[in-house]
Amino acid sequence: MASSRLQSTARQLSKTFKKKGRFEIGIANELPPAYKKFWREWKVLKPAAVHFVPQEGKWRRDELTGETLPIQNVHIPLKHPAEINDGIWGGEAVVKGFQKRDPYKRRVPHFWVPVLKRTVVKSEVLNTHLSVTVTDRTIRLINDHYGFDHYLLKTPACDLVSMLALKLKKHILTELVNGCPRYAHDPKKQAEIYEEYKTYLSSYTPEEIEWYGLTWYEALCKVAKQKEAANRPMPLKSVYRKNLVEKLKAAGIDGSPASAEDISNTTSWLSKMNLFGKKDEQA
Amino acid sequence: MYFFLQTTFVLKRRWPPPLHKKGGKTTKLRGRHFVYDLVEDKNVVRQPDMKVILNQYVEGVGNAGDVLTMRPNQVYRDYLMPGLAVYATPENMEKYQVEENKPKSEDTFSSPYVQRTMNCLSRLVLQITMSKKEPWTLEPWHVKTSFRKAGFVVPEHAIKMPPGKVSGPDLSLQDKEFFVTVTINKTETVNVRCRIHHWATGLERLPWVEHHWKKVTEPLFPEQAEVLQNLPLPE
Repeated sequence: MASSRLQSTARQLSKTFKKKGRFEIGIANELPPAYKKFWREWKVLKPAAVHFVPQEGKWRRDELTGETLPIQNVHIPLKHPAEINDGIWGGEAVVKGFQKRDPYKRRVPHFWVPVLKRTVVKSEVLNTHLSVTVTDRTIRLINDHYGFDHYLLKTPACDLVSMLALKLKKHILTELVNGCPRYAHDPKKQAEIYEEYKTYLSSYTPEEIEWYGLTWYEALCKVAKQKEAANRPMPLKSVYRKNLVEKLKAAGIDGSPASAEDISNTTSWLSKMNLFGKKDEQA
Repeated sequence: MYFFLQTTFVLKRRWPPPLHKKGGKTTKLRGRHFVYDLVEDKNVVRQPDMKVILNQYVEGVGNAGDVLTMRPNQVYRDYLMPGLAVYATPENMEKYQVEENKPKSEDTFSSPYVQRTMNCLSRLVLQITMSKKEPWTLEPWHVKTSFRKAGFVVPEHAIKMPPGKVSGPDLSLQDKEFFVTVTINKTETVNVRCRIHHWATGLERLPWVEHHWKKVTEPLFPEQAEVLQNLPLPE
């Protein structure tokens, strides 16, 4: 009897037990919602299908039997090498898989790697040219968005993928928030650029921009640093000194210039010592 | 849908994975689910031409506000990155007052390659090789021959000689210069800088001067001095 009750409570408990998420462990608890929003955009949101054509609609009919079947698009798994963060590949990545080249031969392992090239991109907001590793798709996307800045600002983090693109996006957003200080020499151009790109600022608050484009580790470091700066320990000696001064003031004792001189004399007792003299001369 | 198609390689599973429960976990993928077939490689497909608007006068291409329609790579490399053109957005169309159906302004040049030829000729320092021993007077056919030696076919009637008579041998001409005027297609004229070089064999031969075409020399005729000063000298 007792054992069955125990079992039922265990079942109940297992139902209510929830595994702790990434944002509920340790210092990550203190990450602001601004970073959670970026994380959602970066890691939770599903990137656009690049290497396969997803089927449209909800249902399809089997041609042979006339059966109605649901459409389930299972993404092709992508590999993200470390080099992806040094360039802007426009959502492309490496696909690892097999090729079946002959019906009577065993399948052959194959990697589909995007064709990379180094070229120049121009950022209007940053007022500079950059040399980056890109793919043809990136250039096409830049042209379709009418400019590099528009491409970065319009595309969500999950499609940008690379750290370089995210950092640049953060840089551009900060620049816009500050009102394009790089064009300070030309106020007319500055106003023009700001007018063109200010629409993108509406979807971010300044705090969100501050937390945008940070890796998990960088965000944690930032929280830790903020925390440390907020409750910095005060040396006890300064606390005691403050207390003492207050007490002296309350007792009506005031420091006069003569006494200050005395203090300075007393504090420099070490200088009176002659460490390099003879033994009997040493104090 | 538009963006899906713009990619390097589009793959397709040869054996798609089985269906899973609605809202449930996807079934564990087996080795055969990683066998892919290439549907299309977009990198080898010809891209459609792109439109851009020039934002300044570009020599041999057009004026500010002209629309260019070209290969995307060429446009990106030669016009967008150096900042000679902007994307043909509706805002830019309005800003540069582009009229789509504007008739193309008639070229004032007799041929599309005239500008290039004129640039080449104006950069040229034409060495006219004359005898150091035999007496001579400079005539159009001398200049024509020198042009041919420099790689330009110039008929005699297209050459307008300098105002004064040039005759030699006269070694003081060696470090003087003048210009002849060449008429291209009987319409455009261009001034070409000329220098006389005295030629002889054996011990009579003048010593070789390094980079003699870069040196600044005096004009032979004072009335040509101003034009010669404005002609670019090779660097």
